[in-house]
Amino acid sequence: MKTKLKQEAKDGWILLSPLLLLTFIFLLYPVVSNFYFSLTKWKGVGKPVFIGFENYKTLFKDERFYRSLKNLGVLVLYIPLGVLTPLVIANTLRKGFRGWKLYRVLLYLPNILGPVILGTIFSVILSQIGPVTDLLTKLGVKNAQEIYILGKSASAINSLAFIFVIWMRVGFGCIYFLSAMSSIDASLYDAAKIDGTNAWQDFIHITLPSIRFSIEFFTVLAFIEVFARMYGIIFTLTGGGPGYATYTLEYGVYMISFSAYQKGYASAWSVILFFFCAAIALIQIRLIKKGENN
Amino acid sequence: MNKYKVRRYITNFITLIILSLFSLVIVYPVYFAVISSIKAPAEYVVNKTGLPQNPTLDNFAKVLTQMSMFKFMLNTFILVGFSMVLYFLVCTAAGFTFGKLRFKGRLTAFTFILFIQIFPQMVIAGQIYQLISKMGLLNTHLGLILVWVAYFAPFGTYIMTTYYSTIPKSLIESARIDGAGVIQQLFKIMIPIAKPMIGTLLIIGALAMWHELPFSMLILQRLQLRTLTLGIALMQGEYGLPIPVLAAAILVTVGFPLLLYIIFQNYITMGSVAGSVKG
Repeated sequence: MKTKLKQEAKDGWILLSPLLLLTFIFLLYPVVSNFYFSLTKWKGVGKPVFIGFENYKTLFKDERFYRSLKNLGVLVLYIPLGVLTPLVIANTLRKGFRGWKLYRVLLYLPNILGPVILGTIFSVILSQIGPVTDLLTKLGVKNAQEIYILGKSASAINSLAFIFVIWMRVGFGCIYFLSAMSSIDASLYDAAKIDGTNAWQDFIHITLPSIRFSIEFFTVLAFIEVFARMYGIIFTLTGGGPGYATYTLEYGVYMISFSAYQKGYASAWSVILFFFCAAIALIQIRLIKKGENN
Repeated sequence: MNKYKVRRYITNFITLIILSLFSLVIVYPVYFAVISSIKAPAEYVVNKTGLPQNPTLDNFAKVLTQMSMFKFMLNTFILVGFSMVLYFLVCTAAGFTFGKLRFKGRLTAFTFILFIQIFPQMVIAGQIYQLISKMGLLNTHLGLILVWVAYFAPFGTYIMTTYYSTIPKSLIESARIDGAGVIQQLFKIMIPIAKPMIGTLLIIGALAMWHELPFSMLILQRLQLRTLTLGIALMQGEYGLPIPVLAAAILVTVGFPLLLYIIFQNYITMGSVAGSVKG
């Protein structure tokens, strides 16, 4: 028995070694070393100069930092709608819906095209001299050029939020929730029918509690997307603008690090972003472990 | 009963409208890219929304020959291809371990993998750039392959772990009695039985790499090395690039994933939820 366990441990570490080696070098080291570099002044070449907490002092005075937090706040406010929309649609589809297969193909398409392509196409379509402006002018809208939604702070961040948090996730969300709902025991609904409940009551009292894990998991995934996976779409759709209207922490790290070459200062931004992501990661891990125990 | 039916029709109708609106937001951009790509740049300026009057394939010829898109495509295939082989081996080996073997430290390692996969590319990009330069791998495909596999393998490992944890352990036990070592167990038993999940693993991985931007942007700074996605992202900023040419480049970029999607759409959409759905 003991030799068998020892053998299993040896086997395990052998099989894990490629993954651990790669992640230690390319993920763990970069994440951890950010803490040190955030305390230095460094342009990316030469030796980093230790300056204590100066970068953090600058950061807490930086307008871009507060704009990023505010924008993340706007994006987060869209998450409930981003979760509810596919949830409600899936609930209708659950009982069968002709044509769903076609819609599924279309709604999942954004995941195939990817954020860089989508951002590029939308930036063209929504540009001031793009087809949408053209179309509006043809429809008789006066000064259609002034509508330019990516050119104004409020509409730019809201468009980005709608595209990224709701629209891009609706297809995946419907498939995800439908798949979760298909595992609900049908006899629960039959029993409710005998009691004479309506569709709304079924949704609240049977569907929601039964797929609670999936809803929570999907919500956490939405947070990950917003805090940690938006770079590609922001880069191509708005470039962070107008002004700092569509900056997020992630995008700020990029701008400061690679456009301004303030690597030390960018590391301080990264450290703040680290704490947001770490918090989300811990929630996700707790969920996964809870899911395993069920 | 009748009242119930009426209500049902109304809900279905509303759902239909919502689904159609969301679909329109994807159909129109794709339609726009297609019709624009076959317009001459001069025609686009005066005819942005209508069908092309004189359809032409010049834009495609231009992006493939003059604008290196063909080279970018080749680069993408090489990069994604080699990365997928490595990614596949790393994920199945680690998924098998986490899913089936029991030893001290396993849970800690698994938690670490779940934790580390969440960080945005930007948090690590700066240090990765330094590391890759020090290793002399800047402007090499090998550098990007290593980084891609490191970044995407944790999630792939998680998918494989959830799959392997449902496989009966007796399979390995019997292989052990036959004297098969762990590498043999992996290749002779674990990989063959996981076939359906491996399809999903490869699709998720390949799409993630196909769409990847920040790492390729940092590591591949020479034009000749670019991927399709990187090519598009940087093309947009080029001064005076006509929209029809950009549209053609976009269609070249999405052509291959789109083709795979059309063939395997059922498999891809249903596979996308693998590993994360629980009742």
